[in-house]
Amino acid sequence: MKVFIYPTNSLILSDLVERFGHEPLAIMSEIGKRVRTQGLDSPPLNITPEEPKLGLKYAAVEVPSGVRGRMALFDPLISKADAAIIVRDPVTSFGCMGCARTNELINFLIRAKKIPLLELDYPSTEEDAKEFVFKISEFLKSLKPAEEAK
Amino acid sequence: MNQAENLVRIAQLSCGAEYSGIQKEIDSAVKQVNAVMVFPEVDISDIEAIEEEFGLKVASPDLKLMMARAKSIVTGKVHVDAVFVATCFRCAEAAIVRSEVRRYIHEKTGIPVISYSFTERTTAGTLLTRMEALTTTARRKSLLAREKQSGLTAGIDSGSTTTKAVVMRDNKIIGKGWVPTIKVLESAEEAYTNALKEAGVKREEIQALGTTGYGRFLIGEHFKADLVQEEITVNSKGAVYLAGKQKGTATVLDIGGMDNKAISVIDGIPGMFTMGGICAGASGRFLEMTAKRLGVGITELGALAIKGRQENVKMNSYCIVFGIQSLVNSLAAGSKPEDVAAAACHSVAEQLFEQQLQEIDVKEPVIMVGGTSLIEGLPKAVEELLKVKVIVPENAQYIGAVGAALLVSGFIAK
Amino acid sequence: MDTITKMVVINSQKVLPSDVVIKLYESNADVMIKETCFGIIVSGERTIVDSLLSSIRKMDPYGIFIKERGLAPGEPYRCRATRRGGARPGFHTLETEDKILPYIASALKALDKGEIPKQKQKKKKLDVEKLKEIIKEAEVTQ
Repeated sequence: MKVFIYPTNSLILSDLVERFGHEPLAIMSEIGKRVRTQGLDSPPLNITPEEPKLGLKYAAVEVPSGVRGRMALFDPLISKADAAIIVRDPVTSFGCMGCARTNELINFLIRAKKIPLLELDYPSTEEDAKEFVFKISEFLKSLKPAEEAK
Repeated sequence: MNQAENLVRIAQLSCGAEYSGIQKEIDSAVKQVNAVMVFPEVDISDIEAIEEEFGLKVASPDLKLMMARAKSIVTGKVHVDAVFVATCFRCAEAAIVRSEVRRYIHEKTGIPVISYSFTERTTAGTLLTRMEALTTTARRKSLLAREKQSGLTAGIDSGSTTTKAVVMRDNKIIGKGWVPTIKVLESAEEAYTNALKEAGVKREEIQALGTTGYGRFLIGEHFKADLVQEEITVNSKGAVYLAGKQKGTATVLDIGGMDNKAISVIDGIPGMFTMGGICAGASGRFLEMTAKRLGVGITELGALAIKGRQENVKMNSYCIVFGIQSLVNSLAAGSKPEDVAAAACHSVAEQLFEQQLQEIDVKEPVIMVGGTSLIEGLPKAVEELLKVKVIVPENAQYIGAVGAALLVSGFIAK
Repeated sequence: MDTITKMVVINSQKVLPSDVVIKLYESNADVMIKETCFGIIVSGERTIVDSLLSSIRKMDPYGIFIKERGLAPGEPYRCRATRRGGARPGFHTLETEDKILPYIASALKALDKGEIPKQKQKKKKLDVEKLKEIIKEAEVTQ
């Protein structure tokens, strides 16, 4: 299954989802598509002034352009998500995850989708990490494997 | 903009620029002024500690990064010549950080810093004047240190509404020209010719010429100017020169025909500044239209406004369409023309206050310049709003031309 | 061709980035390889990269972590060398995650051993009545 992860650029979440047989929906793949397809028209990420307009799908014009531009980037991930893992208090992530308002909106949209969802806290000790990994593995096991879902 | 000039390193402290799709515009504006953007080095421990150190806790990680990068400049970890602080328009959290970061760098380092809030509609053109002013301040410190005009020089200010020219000799204005801008080049020719005529000198005698204003590039090329400079730098210098306030702090306000400038100046050098150009209700055009409706000349509006009381007229909009409509309605309801004139001046001043003065430190003396400063009701309205004394220097309407003539005298070959 | 770039982050006692690089070269696969401070970046056709990295992961399943990366290795707009100074924003995220990789490794080992971790009780905010009692007690002892 396609599993949305939050933070969407997390190495740990991305790795665990793939390790346990599912497809992580991470922002890096969206960036990759943009920068690889038609050369860099609007460096560094090929986000043009059109993206904040596409972001109007999620937020009105009174919402800052940076939020709307980011939403355009996240749109395919949100639409494709079959399940999701949200880490509630992640370590600070920058760049694509650098805007708190965008992050709040993404979390809300994922919760509102009513798909299988695991919400958990970021680990700070070894014991926490065991619980963290265990819960993620149980959650991913409960989902249909990627092959079957296809 | 001389390409042979030193490359200026500008630190970019921003949040949201890449995601608004305008990084390309920033890079393009920077390239045009022969500068490069630098992203100050920080490490993760700097970012983790910054909120405690800076004393400002924010939710957005990229704003933490902005503060950490600012600290990296202040502690000298990275060397830059200027700083550009920019965040998304309408983001309250970012506006607080932007303003505090700007103040922090300005106070701790004296490095020129400008701030800007962008939307996806921000273009390289909009950013260019700001980048030009920023790099000039960084690059031409010695030129800006000039306090007296010397030799025989001229300045032309090609504004959106009027074109002004002056001829100066040995620190005195000896000729002036002032014409409405119709065709940029023709109007400049006329204003310059008038100034030369009044001064009694021939064009070829002029040792150096400087241009500024909207049409500066076009007329600069036409007249083979020695200095082509944006109006932030020129007006700052011109204002403190005319007002005799070259040392220390000052605030320069210029309500132009199409946009406004509010500049916080230290020793004649622009520090923080804002340029507005979105609303015609905060421009000289608003007063021009009011004068027309009242059936008086623009030069008479000020004197009329001084006699009136703005409180007597209710205005429910600053807008050049709806605000003027309010004024017309109140005239029809029996309001006195002088009260209407005062209300118009108050409206423009209030717009300036709400849109722009919130973003800069208003330090005394407050110097008002440009043609609108002669509409006496306007400086009076600003005085009432800011609760400070406003200085309108003699020849305030020639500010740009005087500033250009003063600065360009540094170019006379010794 | 469906090109993909993947980042291999190595936090291992057994495997060095250079070991991984050698193994990648030995495979003779048509991929671009770049060794970095945190591991290796591999770029190439998706299926090739994926199958190659699944064998790399086996070198130390608890010490090798993999994620996709948007930009290609050495992308001038993101590369520290050409960007004049600071790292790309994502680098700092990676730095913070890297710190807890040893915990994740030990959690994965525990999981493979079939350990079931204890569920931690979430701390609740103190009941107001209880707080009142504590305040009263503090007043008495003063």
